[in-house]
Amino acid sequence: MRKQWYRLDNAALIFPAVMRKNWNNVFRVSVTLKDKVDPDILNRAAEDLLPRFPTIFVRLRTGFFWYYLETVAEAPKAEEDYAWPLTPMTRRKLKKCCIRILYWQNRIAVEFFHSVTDGTGAMTFVQNLAARYLALKEGIEIPAEGRILDPKETPKAEETRDCFQLCGAKASVSRAEANAYRLRGNPEEDLFRHIVTGVVPTGMLLEKAHEQGVTVTAYLAAVMAEAVLARQREDRKPGRWRHIKITIPVNLRKTFGLETLRNFTLAVNIGFDPRLGEYSHEEICRLMYHQLAAETIPQRMAGRVSTNVELQRSLPLRLVPLPMKTLAMRLVYALSGESKGCLNISNMGVVTLPEVMTPYVDRFDFMIGVQYSYPNNCSVVSWQGKTYISMIRSIRDSELERLFFSRLVELGIPVDIESNRR
Amino acid sequence: MYCVYCGVRLQDGAGECPLCHTKVAAPALPEQPAEPSWPDRVPRKEKQSGKRLVLSLITVILIAAALSCLIFCLKSTGRVGWSGIAALGMALFWVWVILPQWFPRWRPMIFLPIDFLCLGGYLLYICKATGGNWFLSFAFPVTALAAVLTLAGVAMMRYIVQGRLRLMSLLLIAIGLSFMLVEFFQHITFGTPMFVWSLYCMSVFCLIGLFLFIASFIPGWRAALRRTFFY
Repeated sequence: MRKQWYRLDNAALIFPAVMRKNWNNVFRVSVTLKDKVDPDILNRAAEDLLPRFPTIFVRLRTGFFWYYLETVAEAPKAEEDYAWPLTPMTRRKLKKCCIRILYWQNRIAVEFFHSVTDGTGAMTFVQNLAARYLALKEGIEIPAEGRILDPKETPKAEETRDCFQLCGAKASVSRAEANAYRLRGNPEEDLFRHIVTGVVPTGMLLEKAHEQGVTVTAYLAAVMAEAVLARQREDRKPGRWRHIKITIPVNLRKTFGLETLRNFTLAVNIGFDPRLGEYSHEEICRLMYHQLAAETIPQRMAGRVSTNVELQRSLPLRLVPLPMKTLAMRLVYALSGESKGCLNISNMGVVTLPEVMTPYVDRFDFMIGVQYSYPNNCSVVSWQGKTYISMIRSIRDSELERLFFSRLVELGIPVDIESNRR
Repeated sequence: MYCVYCGVRLQDGAGECPLCHTKVAAPALPEQPAEPSWPDRVPRKEKQSGKRLVLSLITVILIAAALSCLIFCLKSTGRVGWSGIAALGMALFWVWVILPQWFPRWRPMIFLPIDFLCLGGYLLYICKATGGNWFLSFAFPVTALAAVLTLAGVAMMRYIVQGRLRLMSLLLIAIGLSFMLVEFFQHITFGTPMFVWSLYCMSVFCLIGLFLFIASFIPGWRAALRRTFFY
């Protein structure tokens, strides 16, 4: 196969610039099947998908002015999963391939460097990998419907495009906003990542969200904000309280009606200032819902995309060599990149599969890595009436998880807890 | 099986709640633990072979360059002359830049004294090789001053958690005053006029130091600086 190369899309530019030896921005989507995974068949399935997903099977290359992605000749071999997810991908590994395929018992997991794609693109790839695997193993015919693509088809141009370049507004929106409370704790020395997954009934979660007249994402953000607020109360005196803000990555595909398998999300920060007074659960829910609704209207999103794309298009900046760009991006990221939100809640939504696949699939999981300076993150995915809320942390202290999940229980939502405790 | 404290349902066989670490007491349930959802496999630390190869190559190139200088100078002039300064300069570069790279962690309180000792030795060699008389009265006290201030700064940033801003402000004032000391040593060694350039440096550092010192007593300013500079 002839090697192809792709410019990094607008959202992907920051990730190679700010990566460190012990941290980079990776996330994971996994599917648990009903039977044990056969690694040989999994490798064959990945090889079969290689020509269909040219923007996923890529490696990171360094150019003179920009980083870029280049297709790889072979799919990465599936390896056994680790005791914890999302170990950093080193520069050396990224030069070979920007994704990692893992298996453990019934589970197939794929970890992605964020420059390659976002959660939606990753979910599409994992569903196709599972479909191909099941087709090879069980001999079932899976129709190309929903997110399942025909593996024999050539990739469509719309799948490989940078949609950020298509949806900007004529004016840009300022990035200025107040800094948020920073969660902290004692870090794990060996980069161990604690995963606590709470499994809740989707119907009940929806019912509780609708009782408040809000969406599930806004509801979970509100409960998380309450947990972070409680954490701040334990951690700081009232005089030193800061804004409580939750970062929500928004899928722009729905906003602009564009499709791509590359990054096309934008994060918005929603929250409140606890110094202004006490807030009830209902008030926080409504605050979160209305802020999310106001922030995610297409006009505002287009303005924010313009702000980001303008910099990328600026000729003087384009002519600056990569090392200097990297230095500038690191500086900006250090000063403001992670100071505007307390943690992320990334909601993938409800996953659906073709009917013929459903009996073979037990569950889906979605996990995002921690940021460099904030130690907790949360990701959500729903499948077959259950919502899997995965909270990851790089510190020993599990107080935030306790506050969040016990608050859900208090609100009348039963939670089943799983973890990778050592 | 539920956690009595958090109210969440735990996995079968869980010894304690992963949220609050409350021990599970359920004698009625079988003791056999459930199958773990995560393996025991720990990621291997990536080998540093590539890095070591590059470091070895740089070391070999530096040795070759130093030896070439020495041989060329000895053959052409019969004396070590300038080649000694060049060769020791390369050795100094190796000690300052390459040596710490061989170790997995940079330990400043070990490496920095070695670095400044080598710098002092290098300056002493240059002084002797050029027949100068400036080492004891200028190079030695200035190097020692730089070593003390650098070590104090690094120790402060690495080992002291509380009151960093105040210490940093005092360090900046000390650096400002040290410029005057340097000019004083310059005056007694080379006979240059006293306190010309050092006054400018001193005033800039002392003003910043004074601002930070005052800011360290005002909670709002302290928080704003902390937020901006992540100290």
